[in-house]
Amino acid sequence: MKIRQHITMAGALFALAVAAGTGTAPGKDINILNVSYDPTRELYAEFNTAFIKHWKEKSGDTLTIKQSHGGSGKQARAVIDGLEADVVTLALAYDIDAISEKGRLLPGDWQKRLPHNSAPYASTIVFLVRKGNPKGIKDWDDLVKPGISIVTPNPKTSGGARWNYLAAWAYALQKHGNEEAKAREFLGKLFKNVPVLDTGARGATTTFVQREIGDVLISWENEAFLAIKEFGQAKFEVITPSLSILAEPPVAVVDKVAKRRGTEEVAKAYLDYLYTEEGQDIAGRNFYRPRSEKAAAKYAGQFTNVKLVTIDEVFGGWKKAQKTHFDDGGTFDQIFKP
Amino acid sequence: MNIYGKLIAGIVATQMVAISFAAEDSETVEALRRQIQELDQKVRILERKQELDKDAASDKAKVTPTVSLGAGGFSVRSADSNFVFKVRGYVQADSRLYADDYSGGTANDTFLIRRARPIFEGTVYNNYDFRVMLDFASGINSSAANNVFLQDAYVNARFAPEFQVQVGKFKEPVGLERLQSGANILFVERGYPTQLVPNRDVGVQLQGDLFGGLLRYEAGVFNGVADGGSGDVDASDDEKDIAGRLFATPFKDGATEIVRGLGFGVAGTTGNQDGSGLVSKFKTPGQQQFFSYRSGAGTAAAPNVVADGDHWRVAPQLTYFYRSFGLFGEYVISDQRVRRDAGTSSFSRVQNSAWQVSASYLLTGEENSWKGFVPRHNFDPANGGWGAWEVALRLGQLEVDDAAFPLLASPTASASGATSWGVGLNWHLNKNLKLNFNYEQTDFDGGTSDFLARGEKVFLTRAQFAF
Repeated sequence: MKIRQHITMAGALFALAVAAGTGTAPGKDINILNVSYDPTRELYAEFNTAFIKHWKEKSGDTLTIKQSHGGSGKQARAVIDGLEADVVTLALAYDIDAISEKGRLLPGDWQKRLPHNSAPYASTIVFLVRKGNPKGIKDWDDLVKPGISIVTPNPKTSGGARWNYLAAWAYALQKHGNEEAKAREFLGKLFKNVPVLDTGARGATTTFVQREIGDVLISWENEAFLAIKEFGQAKFEVITPSLSILAEPPVAVVDKVAKRRGTEEVAKAYLDYLYTEEGQDIAGRNFYRPRSEKAAAKYAGQFTNVKLVTIDEVFGGWKKAQKTHFDDGGTFDQIFKP
Repeated sequence: MNIYGKLIAGIVATQMVAISFAAEDSETVEALRRQIQELDQKVRILERKQELDKDAASDKAKVTPTVSLGAGGFSVRSADSNFVFKVRGYVQADSRLYADDYSGGTANDTFLIRRARPIFEGTVYNNYDFRVMLDFASGINSSAANNVFLQDAYVNARFAPEFQVQVGKFKEPVGLERLQSGANILFVERGYPTQLVPNRDVGVQLQGDLFGGLLRYEAGVFNGVADGGSGDVDASDDEKDIAGRLFATPFKDGATEIVRGLGFGVAGTTGNQDGSGLVSKFKTPGQQQFFSYRSGAGTAAAPNVVADGDHWRVAPQLTYFYRSFGLFGEYVISDQRVRRDAGTSSFSRVQNSAWQVSASYLLTGEENSWKGFVPRHNFDPANGGWGAWEVALRLGQLEVDDAAFPLLASPTASASGATSWGVGLNWHLNKNLKLNFNYEQTDFDGGTSDFLARGEKVFLTRAQFAF
């Protein structure tokens, strides 16, 4: 056998192997995994359907989008540990920072790659109470009263729970003239009224709505409206406190995974599509606060005006907030004794 | 109703009785109602906590690898089974006892470690299998090359059952008995056809199971090795061998039991081979050499024979298993162009052939199988277990081409053929331990040495520990 024949045969074998081993050629079947946080199930179920259709029309490819949902911190840990997410759509920037820093799966400046700090929609924290508001809960102060049973997830595993915690802290600071000690005391009282900690926001909703535990659920705004949509206004009411926090759930392509799997283009397009009018409209329909003016105006009626503080202005950003409050030995560990 | 529910029911019943005595006291009723509500909340909270604990345990189980140690070796498996790592291996302690060895030319009776092979194998990312097998008994210090120490080192990418690509060092897909694991072979030593087919070689191979496993194919490109030889680098020439095999088990899923265990196929190689390491020596079942090509300095007084040109092999083969009975046979032709250097060079073709038929029967009723079996009852006399007992019979022959004599091989020192028969008794104490007892008798054609004239009568034993 001559050397040319060897090369030809090796080339043929290689081509066969490559053809069998890859699936991202145009017109082919592609699949991506979106690792998201707990309450986005309905949002992405609708958004994925729209994007799959859009991508088919644009590229001819048949796209399958797999979803994974759970507490945001827990999901970030799973990606760091090897869960092959092409994109992450988590509850807070710190969790994607962790994927960048500990997993080295995307660059540190990931947040600058998309508008609005890579948060295509926003939300805030509200209260969901039982119909008629039997305990008369109107604001954060009412939550720390004796005998009030609060449902909120575990800030160690849930992004939503961290937003809840920080919103309460911001309120306490405002009320007590920025006295950290008073805020700590306030949160201590609040968590004394929490009988059970779920790992994620959806689990907390289940605890409150389906297991009928507690007087009040501290919840994502979208999750509270969704509960009312699903179970009817006859059972629950949304209470908007006097002050809350602007929650900006960010999104990012997990560069190393997408590159390895050959899905960079579709993953980027997927996130870009969240910013289109269709993407924004879907966000609004699912009770997220859209960023585009058009969609924001369309859905303005479903949201109550509330004073919103930001993570940066009150807590100096997520890194600092995480270190102070949620890292091992932080404020949460000090005040919460199960 | 769980314990909390019963507790609530009991409390409610008790309180209702109390209520009946103080029904007119509305404050008391209200207090009791609140108390019941509080208790109800406590029960719900306890139930929810239990639910969350269960979810947490379930989540933990989903990511916790499984570690197992047993008769199949040591293995670690990720929770999703996408990653597997196994440590296995086997050791064979043999004895060779030669009868009629009073005169010269016969090997000494000996104990030896025939194979001592740790195996590391597993799977990564679900579809990629790997295997590394070493052999500490095969002359680790005897050569700079690692071809006897490193037996297997390959990755198999399973893109689909029908399409797999294997790359590395592994057995070329030719000889039937050669492809059977050394831990599962019926006799202590493999039969004659194995000496005419390649052993392990480095290359790339496409393989797969078609029609739901009714037909297996293997086709690969390899460096090329001598008959019976192994290699891990092609230092002799620039040429490569192509090897392929088709093996059908057309009735394996059928309803007719008597033909379900029938398998047949054909394998072959073709390629060009040049060099002194690419011609073979042949051995008896007792591992005594009875044929070799001339290997001198290449002068008229001391000729030398090397491979020089095309080399092809063809190997039809058959297996048959029915309940406790097993049979296999294979026939191999190896046709090779060689060069004789004796001051001047001349070229010849030699076509050697070999065949064997082996049969076995499991006296203790186990189902016979090409890949081994597990005894119905382990050896445990106290509880009436005697392991599995197997009897075996083998006939085989290797014929060297007449064209080899006298120029390519010495007609006095080498035989032109060997015919052997052997019987075996195998005792499988359990899945891990096996004892083999073989008697093999060989007669030679040609050759004039005491050994060749007398033939070989050898008693072989093996104690094998495999896990």
